[in-house]
Amino acid sequence: MATIRNEIRRLRFEHGEMTQQELAEKINVTRQTVNAIELGKYSPSLEAAFRIAAVFGKPLESVFHYCEDE
Amino acid sequence: MSFREKTAWISLISMSAIYAIYFWSAIHSGPHFGTLHLGGLLETVIALVIVQVALTIVVSIFSPKEAKAPRDEREKLIDLKATRTAYAGLATGIAFACFFGGFNPPIVFNANALLFILVVSEILRSACQIIQYRRSA
Repeated sequence: MATIRNEIRRLRFEHGEMTQQELAEKINVTRQTVNAIELGKYSPSLEAAFRIAAVFGKPLESVFHYCEDE
Repeated sequence: MSFREKTAWISLISMSAIYAIYFWSAIHSGPHFGTLHLGGLLETVIALVIVQVALTIVVSIFSPKEAKAPRDEREKLIDLKATRTAYAGLATGIAFACFFGGFNPPIVFNANALLFILVVSEILRSACQIIQYRRSA
């Protein structure tokens, strides 16, 4: 089964321990949605994914990884 | 728990409790149920509006930011999925009502049966929303 993994937790830590609430406010979603994305329980839209990457100043592929398990 | 999940709980509990009273009285109202139902239904709808508005205001006081914010993409998706499930329930219920309507029951029974299906569909929608909020929490 394919999964989308992400580096949001690490990137938040590297950006002055940014809270989920702070990230949520920057990308106009709820804190619960950021938490769901971070835990891999919800795959964000392409637009939201780009906004997250822009907050951390990273390219999309540095934040999200598409993993196809065998 | 998010604001939207709390409002889904409010909807689920208030609809279940208030309409349970209505249908309980409708079942036990005997041969005079025709006029009693119209008054009872009006009271039920008013009670439901008052309870839901009051509880939503209380919840909004504790999380004003979330209450003012529009639904985000995940919340919209949850809403759509729940509505799709509720629609399937509604369509199935209507199909059953049409089938059993062939046995020519009184018209008031039909109206109450359709109302029951509508209420169950709405409760199903709230339940589906809560389940999906819990799963992705």
